[in-house]
Amino acid sequence: MNVTAKKPQAATTRVLSYANALLETMDGALAEHPNVFIMGQGVDDFKGIFGSTTELAEKYGAKRVFDVPLMEEAMTGIALGAALVGDYPITTHIRADFSFLAMNQIINLAAKYRYMFGGIMSCPTLIRVVVGRSWGQGAQHSQSPQATFAHYPGLTVIMPATAQAIVDMYPQIINRHPGPVISIEHRLLYNLDFTVAEGHVPLTSYVARPGRDVTVVATSVMVVEALRAAQYVQDTAGIDSEVIDLNSISHPDWDLVAGSVRKTGRLVIADTSWLEYGVAAEVCRQVVLRDPSMLMAPPTMLGMAPAPCPTAKSLEDIYYPSQHETVDAILTQVRGADHGIDLPTERSMTEGYRRFRGPF
Amino acid sequence: MSEDRELYRRLFRTALLIRLVEERIIELYPSDRIQSPVHLSIGQEAVAVGACDALRPDDLVFATYRSHGFYIAKGGRLDRMFAELYGRVGGVSKGKAGSMHLSAPEVGLMGSSAVVASTIPHAIGAALSFKRHGNSRIAVAVFGDGATEEGVYHESLNFASLMKVPVLFLCEDNGLAVHSHRPVRQSYSLVKHAAAYGIASRRLDEGWDMLAVRRATLEAAARARAGEPFVLEIATARYKEHVGIGDDFHFGYRLESDIDAWKKRDPLIADKALVEELTPAIEREIEQAVAFAENSPSPSRAELLTDII
Repeated sequence: MNVTAKKPQAATTRVLSYANALLETMDGALAEHPNVFIMGQGVDDFKGIFGSTTELAEKYGAKRVFDVPLMEEAMTGIALGAALVGDYPITTHIRADFSFLAMNQIINLAAKYRYMFGGIMSCPTLIRVVVGRSWGQGAQHSQSPQATFAHYPGLTVIMPATAQAIVDMYPQIINRHPGPVISIEHRLLYNLDFTVAEGHVPLTSYVARPGRDVTVVATSVMVVEALRAAQYVQDTAGIDSEVIDLNSISHPDWDLVAGSVRKTGRLVIADTSWLEYGVAAEVCRQVVLRDPSMLMAPPTMLGMAPAPCPTAKSLEDIYYPSQHETVDAILTQVRGADHGIDLPTERSMTEGYRRFRGPF
Repeated sequence: MSEDRELYRRLFRTALLIRLVEERIIELYPSDRIQSPVHLSIGQEAVAVGACDALRPDDLVFATYRSHGFYIAKGGRLDRMFAELYGRVGGVSKGKAGSMHLSAPEVGLMGSSAVVASTIPHAIGAALSFKRHGNSRIAVAVFGDGATEEGVYHESLNFASLMKVPVLFLCEDNGLAVHSHRPVRQSYSLVKHAAAYGIASRRLDEGWDMLAVRRATLEAAARARAGEPFVLEIATARYKEHVGIGDDFHFGYRLESDIDAWKKRDPLIADKALVEELTPAIEREIEQAVAFAENSPSPSRAELLTDII
């Protein structure tokens, strides 16, 4: 592919898959910045992290794009060391779960370096981690660690939900963000096509769909789900949902969220991880701290069931919130539990992503 | 004065500076003006001094929580170090680092970390960068013998060997991890283990000898500079407790006689005449640094939330 990260001309749009948006931004970063290099297990193989780094090693050489041994902690530390002397390393984990092996470097070192040294050290770097789901990813290939990482000051944690978010945010980060960034990419998004326009997704939250009846705050693939659900309730019940893509987990725009809730009085939160001590809980905390009287009803929260992820499809189907439940949550917020509107029959959200056929 | 004598004096002076600085810390510590865990390197000065003198000014050192010696030997400002220990804005890191996270990037001392072994891969990353950009600098990972038991040490050795990066692994072997002796912690010989990764190595038993450390480091650094990672293990002795200012022989986990042999060979003890000659000027230097720290204000409230991202 011969592509660059340059934005399309004004008023033009194009269709771009999430994976190709990643490939385009990786390619653009390597082309524009000699100090950028990409390392990770398998970045130069024929699958290229699900198509996001394919053929970049051939194009830029093994000094810029290279495979590494199985060494998650050392890789992250090596990235930090290279960043300290002026390089910009991009590291990848084909499953977010493997980044847990790098927790020491991410939390004890990268997150603290600027502060701990009084601003004289900085380690700008991008850590890409991919969340698995469906096709039996199971307990150790499916975890979505945004709350874990965002808990620690010093890290910037983002969850791009669309190709637009990738092409807008990654160049901002690579060009000028001063600290370590963890981008949590969802595997189910990789194969989806998005309409990409001239735009600017900020490194914080934004309104993905304006509305007046209910606020839906969502993350990652749940933004796509929320937008589908918003369309459904619009079509079936005339309910006008405002969908906010939280987008930045570490630095959300809480004023935007609170302003929306003040307007609608109703709140649904849909996250890709567990609810306990998680992002949904934090959204509630922020809203309640500002003004609990904004809420006309207790918020509804959607996330994974409080268990490790089961492999059996019959269990996985009920482990994740479905389109059925997302629609029900919005309708219940606005019309009450006896809303009487027919729900979509889709129980398994993966029905919406038929192109994902595994194995990983 | 012969060239050798001049070199010896230079190294000796820096080593004595480190020791007198740490002895001053011991005096100050009960006053609580330094409220930071301190890991003293008294007994180990020859390693920092000999090694840093063998490096080029732009070679980088990545260190540990026991880094007063390396900070001074690499040329960090003494007044800013004391201010850092005091938690004052005049400190290297405005008081946010304390003793365990000393750094002086302007003279090539990069971060020091309190988590054992965690800066080892940083040296590899810097060395990788040096190699990518085709310059002749090297990076030095300094760590204790305990750090070699951590997984990241093994990952780092493997990667350094694969990529042939200009890195020097410098192990200060004081035989202790907090209070645990080496034989209960390690099933391997460090130099033999390095060989399994295809990395050349050497053990130097005469860790009290600054000139021997310097020579060994010069040779090791030359290998590293040629893209051949090298493990240099230097035997040394920690006179004081793991953390804090005391002697801990009365706890019985080690004997004072264990380090008698070291003290007999320790030039900072044995070479009384030179100690006497150099001490007054060094003491004045330390007094000025302490005065700088005393006069530096504490960080203001605004500093609490700056420099986070």
